[in-house]
Amino acid sequence: MQLFGVLIPEKEQLIATASDVAKGKAGLALYVSLFGLAIGFYAIAAIFIQGHAHTINTSNLVPWGLQISTYIYFALLSTGCTFVNFFGHVFFEKQYKPFASRIIFVGIITAVAAFFSLATEMGRIDRMYNFLLSPNPKSPMFWMAIWYTSYLIVIIWEYINIQTNKHSEKVMWGAFFVAIFTHSTLGSLLGSVSSRVYYYSALMPIYFLFIAFLTGCSLTTIIAAITVKQKKLDEKYHLHPFVTLLKVGLGLALVITFWRTMIGLSAHLGGSEVFSLTLINSVLFGIVVVIVIPYILLKMGNSANWLIFVGLFIMGTQLKARNDLVVGAFKIPLFRVYDMPEVVHYTPSIYENLVVVASASLVMVLYIVFERSGVFEARNIKEGH
Amino acid sequence: MEQFDGKDILDIMHADLQRALKKPRKERRWAMAIDLKKCIGCHACTTGCMSENLTPPDIHYRPVKEEEVGEFPNTGMRFLPRPCFQCDSPTCTPVCPVTATYKRDDGLVVIDYKKCIGCRYCIVACPYGARSADSGHYYTGDFRDKTYEVENSGEYGETFKRKSHWHSPIGNARKCHFCIHRVEKGELTRCTTTCLGSATFFGDINDPKALITKLISKPNVFRYKEEIGTKPMVYYIP
Repeated sequence: MQLFGVLIPEKEQLIATASDVAKGKAGLALYVSLFGLAIGFYAIAAIFIQGHAHTINTSNLVPWGLQISTYIYFALLSTGCTFVNFFGHVFFEKQYKPFASRIIFVGIITAVAAFFSLATEMGRIDRMYNFLLSPNPKSPMFWMAIWYTSYLIVIIWEYINIQTNKHSEKVMWGAFFVAIFTHSTLGSLLGSVSSRVYYYSALMPIYFLFIAFLTGCSLTTIIAAITVKQKKLDEKYHLHPFVTLLKVGLGLALVITFWRTMIGLSAHLGGSEVFSLTLINSVLFGIVVVIVIPYILLKMGNSANWLIFVGLFIMGTQLKARNDLVVGAFKIPLFRVYDMPEVVHYTPSIYENLVVVASASLVMVLYIVFERSGVFEARNIKEGH
Repeated sequence: MEQFDGKDILDIMHADLQRALKKPRKERRWAMAIDLKKCIGCHACTTGCMSENLTPPDIHYRPVKEEEVGEFPNTGMRFLPRPCFQCDSPTCTPVCPVTATYKRDDGLVVIDYKKCIGCRYCIVACPYGARSADSGHYYTGDFRDKTYEVENSGEYGETFKRKSHWHSPIGNARKCHFCIHRVEKGELTRCTTTCLGSATFFGDINDPKALITKLISKPNVFRYKEEIGTKPMVYYIP
């Protein structure tokens, strides 16, 4: 079936998938993600029906919590997919081609999943129309909305081009630069907040881009490794670009994480003690666990299964790292009043955790359904002819 | 009764307020001064503000910071009340993506509850922690009769009822607004009138005859975190 020239799953294939689910033949991944989607949507419904007071653990001291970090995490995953798509096409054209439509499709659905998480954090999501009726061009958040919309349009355009075998270099370059603008603006949203020393940094937009590259590389490595296994492609030949990009991503993440921490430690500004508070976490988790260990793991093997494990390891640790970044800024209260703790602690509620599950499950379900429907294959078959 | 030049200070500030209200709005500049020597840390301003604005649990427009100073046996208590500083160069207004929070021509930083999308960016950006998010908590919890808690607080001179999380100001950012709904009716801010130590002063600093203008002209007067360039409109008298 086609929509504006783009292949979407046929009705019969969707019915067949539903039938497989009913018969217990759909595969563990689809069952797990459908279950995740069900409980995640229950949590989202509960947040909208019961309100934040009964479901969310954020407060005046911690105004942004796990939902915002999940939003950032998925937005960065999406950017990373666009980056990998760009570098894949430019430097590894033949090795990368079998994965192109999958990767840019995941770029789109992770961007949508990011919105799911963001929507549950907003106090009044029903008033989003005010971005159009009452815009504030001074606000990085306003520009993020503009860029994000442009970004979604351009990556959908890129996907259409890939799917219809009309890949345009101009659109690919456009997607790459719009991704840079969009997600550096997201970085500036935190980096321009002078009152929060943990955020306030000119490095933040670059930090976001480098981390986006790393997380995108890990996700696309998993997709490529699974595809290589399913289609019985040459592992060494097709996975080589992903391993190379992953190593570059780890190197970039190491440089930016190290300097962000060092500059923060030497800032000596009011509130900068948060860098000392999080120093052990920054070095042990932020550098050793998130960067050094994955690099060692990469050196230990290059098989598809091993790369899936390394990719999952990086994605898991990055989710915690994003939460540490977002919540870290609120550890030291700005105005220490009699009933406020000296160091603020925040534990996400079960509903907040389930929002993460909902976003991840949405990506998995959509990817698996499209994959089972053979949408990504159709292009290769066409090319083969 | 606290006096200044033989007159009751509340009477003086009231007269100052009436004089200011006769001027066009853009010619006024509302400010507050807090005499730290007189503050006894009674929190009457905090509770007065809560009853005036019907703020829910966890939202205090005007908390009082308490500090113990010195070493035993030479110790003492120090108090620092903190309203919104109504900064002249606020960091909260430029970040609002939908201009729901903005600076009025009389210097007050206000929130349009009908526009606010509840993104909390202003709360993150305020360097004083003066903003709060109304998540929809009630003192009475799940008790069905929340009549008092859904009452109209009259903030910004408008009618808002906190009936559910789809009714503003639930879901919005909230903060001190110098009781503008009272001030525009010719009444002083609630914290000024409830202050037991007569430590809080309010008025128009564009009026050279106003009591507040005289108080803040002293050389030792300071503003909190003045060095960050926000130009707060709350002055502390040490």
